[in-house]
Amino acid sequence: MSILKVRELMVFYENAIAINNASLECERGKITGVFGTNSAGKSTLMYTISGIILDLKRKEQMRGGERITVLGSILYEGEEVIELEASVRARKGIILCPERRRIFQESSVIENLRIGGILATRQQAKRTLEYIYTIFPVLKDLKNREGGFLSGGEQQMLAIGRALMAQPKLLLLDEPLLGLSPTIEEILTDAIQDINTKFGLAVLIVEQYARPILPIIHYGYVLENGSAVLEGTSEELIENPDVKSAYFGL
Amino acid sequence: MEIIIYGTVNSVIYALIAVGFTLVYGVSRVPNFAHGSIYVLVGFLTWTFINSIHLHYAVAIVLSLLVASFLGLIIYRFVLIRLRGMATSEIIASFAVSLIILEGLRLQGIAGFKGFIGPFYVLPPFFQGKISILGVFVDYQRLIIIAACFVLVAALWIFTHYTKMGLSLRAIAQDERAAMMLGVHADKTAMLSLSIGSALAGLAAVLILPLGNITAEMGYKVLIYALAVCIIGGLGSWVGAILAAFVIGFAMKISTALFGAVWESVVLVGTIILILLVRPSGLLGKQKELEERV
Repeated sequence: MSILKVRELMVFYENAIAINNASLECERGKITGVFGTNSAGKSTLMYTISGIILDLKRKEQMRGGERITVLGSILYEGEEVIELEASVRARKGIILCPERRRIFQESSVIENLRIGGILATRQQAKRTLEYIYTIFPVLKDLKNREGGFLSGGEQQMLAIGRALMAQPKLLLLDEPLLGLSPTIEEILTDAIQDINTKFGLAVLIVEQYARPILPIIHYGYVLENGSAVLEGTSEELIENPDVKSAYFGL
Repeated sequence: MEIIIYGTVNSVIYALIAVGFTLVYGVSRVPNFAHGSIYVLVGFLTWTFINSIHLHYAVAIVLSLLVASFLGLIIYRFVLIRLRGMATSEIIASFAVSLIILEGLRLQGIAGFKGFIGPFYVLPPFFQGKISILGVFVDYQRLIIIAACFVLVAALWIFTHYTKMGLSLRAIAQDERAAMMLGVHADKTAMLSLSIGSALAGLAAVLILPLGNITAEMGYKVLIYALAVCIIGGLGSWVGAILAAFVIGFAMKISTALFGAVWESVVLVGTIILILLVRPSGLLGKQKELEERV
């Protein structure tokens, strides 16, 4: 049973094609991975699923800039969401943890988390906050530090925590490991797995750096020039010679 | 002693004027140049409600504040929403709204006299009388202004730190798109900020206007003071705005006492230039200090 079904998605920036006829699915309670190199359309895919692309489109339109076109269908829990605004989709449970984290820099850690919990009820927020402190204990120690003064890894933890506070049903992670050390990578991948098993939360991870992510996903896609060229379970992808040569350098 | 007391009063007045402007700018990045016109409009509305419809003073104030916040909503919904993200256009559009309101009011005869035969447009003070503080006479209205400012700042601080609505305002102010990802509706929040900002302008008006006449020119003056305070304080920074209000308020009062009132506006502009020379992004403007870490 899939929670998200993307069908024949096409996204154009003016005449350049960013997503070309991509189709993919996220299973309920499973981790799905999407891998691709730079300019494969990973971030655009995330923006399109989360609805941020509509905001981009509107701003560009007002400026008289690039024309952005989105075609195709995104079914979330059987409902067409491609026309819905980002905040409405967030209310339905599609929460994006964005690339480069985008922490609220002037707010403290705890305030970042509180802002994440705007959609949550008081009990939900309290429970989630406790859970976040158990998977990322470092956040508890830094609770009153301003977001802008955290290290990259801490910011990423905070970003994931903040997204969790919004009570997602489908968590979108855009390049969660970008520029982080192997130790932090391990903490984060463990946390993602824990989130998935504890709450049965559907997670969609988009990464360029596949090596640490491949073992934890249940199903994955390889994105190239805006279309999904390859798909399979974690084992299938790891064994695939093309993936091996492209992402493991073997 | 007189300098301290009246300097404080002056500073608090500037802070009151600026707080609505800085709230709107901080949240929606919309420089609301209609700020001053709403200030005057609320004064005029309150006056009309009292003198033409004969409402109670308090009722008149509440009513005109409601009108002000509704007006802010409308300005955003029908004018600014089409220009979001283009600072120059936002300034021109909101200044146009400001011109319409202020010049419209001038036609109404708000210049002070109604064709030189009409009434003065003056709001009565909340309480008549004055008391002596350490030998300086201060009227009750000025004391109310100081108290109101502190209450207002405290209320705003609690609102923005502990309520969901306030938190979403802060979220949008810092990173609009990240806030959208967490379920905050950008336009609704900006609309809310404009309506709160307008109500704050109105509140400043009903507090401050009893000290003098209501004139159309005041709208421009208020706008300039609000801008000056916000720029010195660092655009969008609330603490900075309050700090800047005190700097300007005292600078002007001290210079008036030393050299006379003629130098007031020179000192105002001089302070702005001096502070911006030392700190280009304002006293507490830190947009450029926190660089992104990767």
